[in-house]
Amino acid sequence: MIRWAILIAILVTSVCLALRYGQISVPLDVLWNGLGTNDGPGSLILGTIRGPRVAVAMGGGFVLGLSGALFQTLFRNPLASPDVLGFTSGAGLAVIFAVSFNLAIAPTIAAVAGGVFAALVVAAIAYQKGVETPAITLILVGLGIGFFATGLATFLMTVLPTSSALEAQRWLSGSLSGSTWGNAGLVCGLGSLLALFALAQSRALGVLELGNDMAKGLGLSTEASRWTISGTGVLLAAVGVSLTGPVPFVALIAGPLGAVLSGATTVAGRLLAGGMAGAIVLVLADLVARVAIPNTQLPAGVFTGLIGAPFLLWRLGVEMRKGRV
Amino acid sequence: MAALCLIALALISLFIGPRDIAFDSFAAALQAYDQYDAEHVTLMQIRLPRLWAALIAGGALGVAAMVMQVVTRNPFADPGVLGINAGAAFFLIVGTTLLGRADEAFVAVFAFPGAALMALIVFALGGGFLRDINPIRLVLAGVAVNALLASLLTALVLLRQDSLDVMRFWVAGSLSQATTRPLFEMSLIALAGASLAMALATRFEAFALGGDMSQGLGVRPGRVLAGALIVVTLCAGAAVSVAGPIAFLGLIVPPIVRVLSPGDLRLGLLMSAVIGALILLFADVLGRVILSPLEVRAGIMTALLGTPLFLWVARRMSPGQVS
Amino acid sequence: MISLENVSIGYSERPVIDNLTTEVPQGKVTTILGPNGCGKSTLLKALACLKVPTQGCIRLDGIDLSTLSSRDRARKIAILPQHPIAPDGVRVGDLVRRGRTPWRGALSPWRTEDQAACDEALVAVHLQHDQSRTLVELSGGQRQRAWLALVLAQQTPILLLDEPTTHLDLVYQIELLQLLRDRNRNSGLTVVSILHDLNLAARFSDHLILLGAGKLVDAGPPDTVLSADNIRAGFNLQALVTRDPITSAPMVVPH
Repeated sequence: MIRWAILIAILVTSVCLALRYGQISVPLDVLWNGLGTNDGPGSLILGTIRGPRVAVAMGGGFVLGLSGALFQTLFRNPLASPDVLGFTSGAGLAVIFAVSFNLAIAPTIAAVAGGVFAALVVAAIAYQKGVETPAITLILVGLGIGFFATGLATFLMTVLPTSSALEAQRWLSGSLSGSTWGNAGLVCGLGSLLALFALAQSRALGVLELGNDMAKGLGLSTEASRWTISGTGVLLAAVGVSLTGPVPFVALIAGPLGAVLSGATTVAGRLLAGGMAGAIVLVLADLVARVAIPNTQLPAGVFTGLIGAPFLLWRLGVEMRKGRV
Repeated sequence: MAALCLIALALISLFIGPRDIAFDSFAAALQAYDQYDAEHVTLMQIRLPRLWAALIAGGALGVAAMVMQVVTRNPFADPGVLGINAGAAFFLIVGTTLLGRADEAFVAVFAFPGAALMALIVFALGGGFLRDINPIRLVLAGVAVNALLASLLTALVLLRQDSLDVMRFWVAGSLSQATTRPLFEMSLIALAGASLAMALATRFEAFALGGDMSQGLGVRPGRVLAGALIVVTLCAGAAVSVAGPIAFLGLIVPPIVRVLSPGDLRLGLLMSAVIGALILLFADVLGRVILSPLEVRAGIMTALLGTPLFLWVARRMSPGQVS
Repeated sequence: MISLENVSIGYSERPVIDNLTTEVPQGKVTTILGPNGCGKSTLLKALACLKVPTQGCIRLDGIDLSTLSSRDRARKIAILPQHPIAPDGVRVGDLVRRGRTPWRGALSPWRTEDQAACDEALVAVHLQHDQSRTLVELSGGQRQRAWLALVLAQQTPILLLDEPTTHLDLVYQIELLQLLRDRNRNSGLTVVSILHDLNLAARFSDHLILLGAGKLVDAGPPDTVLSADNIRAGFNLQALVTRDPITSAPMVVPH
């Protein structure tokens, strides 16, 4: 229980820090005063400038982290997260595609369509009849699809005019600037619905963790459960990506980080902790991106990339020693 | 056979483009070059350097990939996948941004420390200096390095808006700027890399049999690995500074070579240079005609051609082979 | 002849091989025996210079092995490790060619003598008709013979083998050991191998080196080394030593 309290405290502290610091730093009491009123600097920061941005970071980080924890548990492999599996690249590509062809589609819908499509492609290629797909095959196929999507996105970038290319580049690397309360409402609404659905799946997930044969023996219809859980995970990732852009590695880091911080032993606990860790990571990454270089706002994805890449390598080392990769 | 295809394709590449050129004027341009004739100028100043660039970059990447795949025993080992091309390109972009585009030949030098650094990092992380190299770990190390460089690149572009155009030009491999590249110098460097690869070929083959066996055959693993890194750095660096980071070419070449000439690695290296040049040239010609007048860059064409192959290998790999 | 003088190998506080002095006779079939973890593999690797002794000296015909360049050493001593790595899809002929590595310079072409060595090695292991097959197509016994051909093509006077018969059926084990002994008898090849089966070792060896926990228990011809006392000292096993009814070599029957 204490560790959960610590996890929540870290999240609250990160949010406070993210609201307090930025291009200008605002003392907490000014923010507190701004909460009740409709004018003054506190209200402006909370209501218009940083409020929606931090809310989107929290919500987006939560769904991405939850999605990562879901896939990592389902495939029993800490490397199997939606970004490694190519889903986020697919969602990112779809949004760039919509932008470059001036399609009148909301980015959320484009991202969801792209993510689901990428997931279906990965599943179709990795699926072998009668064999339980090894996580490694899935990861490699996902990497391939990710490369492909990135290649196409790069191509679209080269044909876009410079101004839209800059916007696209910012979006592709995962940026939270331009977040609105509408975005925040969308991510929280859709996100909490999907999160509840994911948590409802946690018992089936706990049985699936014991392996396909064991799960079947316990009377679970394994195929159906796998598809449901994967679908939930893909939707979660796509919702996150549509608002934050394909922020690299948040989903990958969140699961293990949450498990360590919370010490959770149950599946539902790990999922929840993964989501919270995702929120912490993204809120902090966005904060660092805003304050690292004065007068310049970098995309949060730059920092998750800088943290996530070494993490992936360290994780690889650990997995190697265990002989699982 | 492959050589004949190469020659045929090379000729086609000279005559196809926004301005189709008749064969006669090629002969005429060779015999009596007229600097006021638009066709002659196109041919000698644009098409010929571009052809030359495709041959060098393709050949060099073919050799680099072949050496990497033999040494690491890894079907995914490709300078692009492992982030070596991205490293070279990153250093080039930083160099160009800092120094301006005034001196192309000087800036090209930056590609080599970039390629060398990434090769060293990826091999080290892939376990190359400790035990036998692990295929999956190597690929994931490449993914991580690529992601890291992409993050740094974004930061750079957003900090210095003038570098966006530099980046957009460099981030996907293209042969359209071949005229401005230091073709002659890079040809020499690529040739040096390829010659070193030829000289070390027997050692690479022995190295692939594992630590104890290769030592038993009188090969020093540390030296061979160092040699391989030098080859990869020279070849990939030269290719990137001529054509930018060409994706996935290194995935396509070695499997084809293994089918065509499964035996001696020296012959295999020659073949991979020819096949690499052939495929890049093909990608370039295809990219010029497929969406004409829009040009699809050669690097994107190779990525599109290489992905199905990557997926096929990934699917075919059973878990037992992976560990 | 390889001679070892006060050789210790491993970490200084806990050596795997401790102060070992013995000899490997020239032109004989020698087998290293001992329980698991007694340092057999370590000793074999030291003989091939893959491991450097922390103390003492290993001499080949009076020359300190560590002074030889790795290429010169590879022209004198070949080793077949326990788990060599087979490159994906490699063919038998191409695998065997790699045994010529120490004889090929950076620029030297593939010479007729290289080809002759490979052909001869393939004939010796009866794989001359399987050159263009890939290694995965072969049976376990054939695969091991292909690896053997590789080290034979290295054309060294001394051949070291680390448990060459592991994972092979009894038929293939005998076939392989027979092949090694024929090679020894016909061309004077010095063979040193590690075996687990005491009875096979007794039957196919001229000289045995019995190790127990990093120390030498006994060395010499099978008749003297394989005594009940030595077996107890080396393996901590009570055994009856009798005569093999076919070859009259010593035969170890555990109690």
